[in-house]
Amino acid sequence: MSEYKKPLPEFRPETKPYWEATKNHELKLPRSKTNNKFFFYPRAVSPYDDMSQDIEWVNASGRGKVWTYSIHNMGPTKAYKGDPPYVVALVELDEGVKMMTNIVDCDPQDVKIGMEVEVVFDDITEDVTLPKFKPVG
Amino acid sequence: MATAIPRVEETREMLKNQKIVIAGVGETEQGKIPNKSSFQFLSEASKIAIEDAGIKKTDVDGVITAFSLVENTFMHCTTFADYFGMNPRFFSSVAIGGATAVWMVAEAAMAIAAGQAEVVLCVRGDNTLSGISSSGMVALIREMCHAEFEFPYGLTTPGGYALIAQRYMDEYGATSEHLAAVSVSARKHAALKENAMHQGPLSIEDVINSREIASPLHKYDCSIISDGGAAFIITTEAKAKELEIENPLAYLHGMGQGYSHQYLTSLENLDQIYNAVNRSGQKAFQTAGVGPSDVDVAFLYDCFTITVLLELEGLGFVGKGEGGPFALEGRMEIGSDLPVNTHGGLLSQAHLGAMHHVIEATLQLRGAAGPRQVDGAELALVHGNGGIVSAHSTVLLGKEALS
Repeated sequence: MSEYKKPLPEFRPETKPYWEATKNHELKLPRSKTNNKFFFYPRAVSPYDDMSQDIEWVNASGRGKVWTYSIHNMGPTKAYKGDPPYVVALVELDEGVKMMTNIVDCDPQDVKIGMEVEVVFDDITEDVTLPKFKPVG
Repeated sequence: MATAIPRVEETREMLKNQKIVIAGVGETEQGKIPNKSSFQFLSEASKIAIEDAGIKKTDVDGVITAFSLVENTFMHCTTFADYFGMNPRFFSSVAIGGATAVWMVAEAAMAIAAGQAEVVLCVRGDNTLSGISSSGMVALIREMCHAEFEFPYGLTTPGGYALIAQRYMDEYGATSEHLAAVSVSARKHAALKENAMHQGPLSIEDVINSREIASPLHKYDCSIISDGGAAFIITTEAKAKELEIENPLAYLHGMGQGYSHQYLTSLENLDQIYNAVNRSGQKAFQTAGVGPSDVDVAFLYDCFTITVLLELEGLGFVGKGEGGPFALEGRMEIGSDLPVNTHGGLLSQAHLGAMHHVIEATLQLRGAAGPRQVDGAELALVHGNGGIVSAHSTVLLGKEALS
C-alpha cells in the first residue's frame, strides 16, 4: 500500500469501537442506553438531555439517502492532487442520524439529493478504514 | 413574532440608561499588502480609530481583539496590548469566527455597563492573504469541520457552504443566478468604496462562468482573502461628551446571539439554521422595539453568497426561499428596498470578518458614507455568522439614542 498523505482521522479514546468496527468492515453507531436514541458523531456523552454515559454500539443498516452533496473540484490540501472531482456528502442513515462521507463508485454528476446509498469500506491505511457510500444497486 | 425572549426588558433598560455608542472607526488600506505583520495592521487600525474619535490613546481603558489566522497566540488581546503599548483595565478576545466583530460591540457594551471600562477599543487585523501558510489554511477548515468524522473526507471551506447551498437550492428551487446576484450587488457597491479590493464590473454570467470550486458554488460566490486592519471605539454618550468627541454617534439599540451547530453532521435541517439566525435577530429587534421593516440598511455576513440569502430570510426581511428573487431583482442595492453591504462586503471589499460591516453601518448612520450614502439611514442592522452558518450574532445601531 502506498503512503497515504491525506488527513487521517484524529482519534479520540471514546471512539475506538467505531474505528475497530470499520476496520472489520462493519458500521456501528453509538446509541444511548438511557433513551435508546442513536447519535452521530460518536462521543462519550449522549448529546440528548439524558446526558447518558451509558453508550452501546449497534450494528447499523449501512443504508441511507443523500441529504446534500457537493462536487469538490479542489481539495483542501496538496495531498488531494489528482483526486477532484470527488463528492463530499451528508448522508441521512436509516437510523436517523447524518454522516459526512464521500459518494464513490459512480459518476459525480449522477449524485442527487434523495439518492439511496449503501456503505462501502475504504481501507486507506493498514490501520484505518473509512466508511464511504455508493449508490444502491 | 417569536415567543417571549428572556431578559429583553433588562437589556433594553441597560441600553437606554447607558447610551452605548460607536464613537470612532478606523480602516487601514485593504488588499494584498506584503511586508506588514498581523499586529502592525491591528496597531495601524487602532491609531486611525483613536484619531477619528479625536481622543488620546490613554483615554482607551478597554481592548477587545479577535484572533489571527497567521500569528499563533492563544492570548490574543494581551499580546496586542503589549505590542501596542497599552495598560487596559478590561481585555478580552472574542473568537467566534465571523460572528466575532458584531459581538465585540455587544461585549464592549456589557463590559462598560458592568463598570469594567469606559472606552473600549475593538480591533481586528491580519495579513491573511500574504502571511497565511498552507498549514494555516488547513487549520482553518479543520477548525470548522470535525477533525475525526468530517475532515478525512476532503471537505473544504467552500465545500461546507456548498453543502448548505445545494440543499437550499433543492428545497426552495433557488438557482445559481439567485446566488450570483448577491455577488453582483456587492460588486456594484464596492465600486463606490475607496479601499475595496475588487471594483471592476461583474455580471451574473461572470459569476456563473467562473470556476466551480465546490458545486454549486463558483469562484465569485466565494469571499476574497485580504490583508488589512479595522477598528472601532465603543463608549457611552456621556463619556463621548466628556472627551469632546465630535463625530456623530451611532447608538446601540439591540444585540443578540443564536446558535445552530458547530459541525454540519449535527445539522438536522435547514430550519435549524433559520431558527438560529432568527433567535439572534429577534433578541436584537425586541430589545430595540422594532422589526425588519424598520431597518434602513443591513449588513449581512457574506463569506459566501448563500449566507446572505439565509440571513435575509432568517432575519425576516423576506420569507424562506424568497431571498434569491429579492437579490436578482436588485432590491439589495443602494436606492432600492433594502440596501445590503453598501461597502462591498467580504465578497468584494475585504475580509476581516464583519469589522467593515460594523464600520460601514456607523458611517451610514453618521451620514458620512459619501457616494454610498443611503438616504435617511437611521437604523442599521449588522449580522455576523461564524463557522459554517453555525454561530450567529446581531446588533441594531441607530442614529439617535434608544428611547
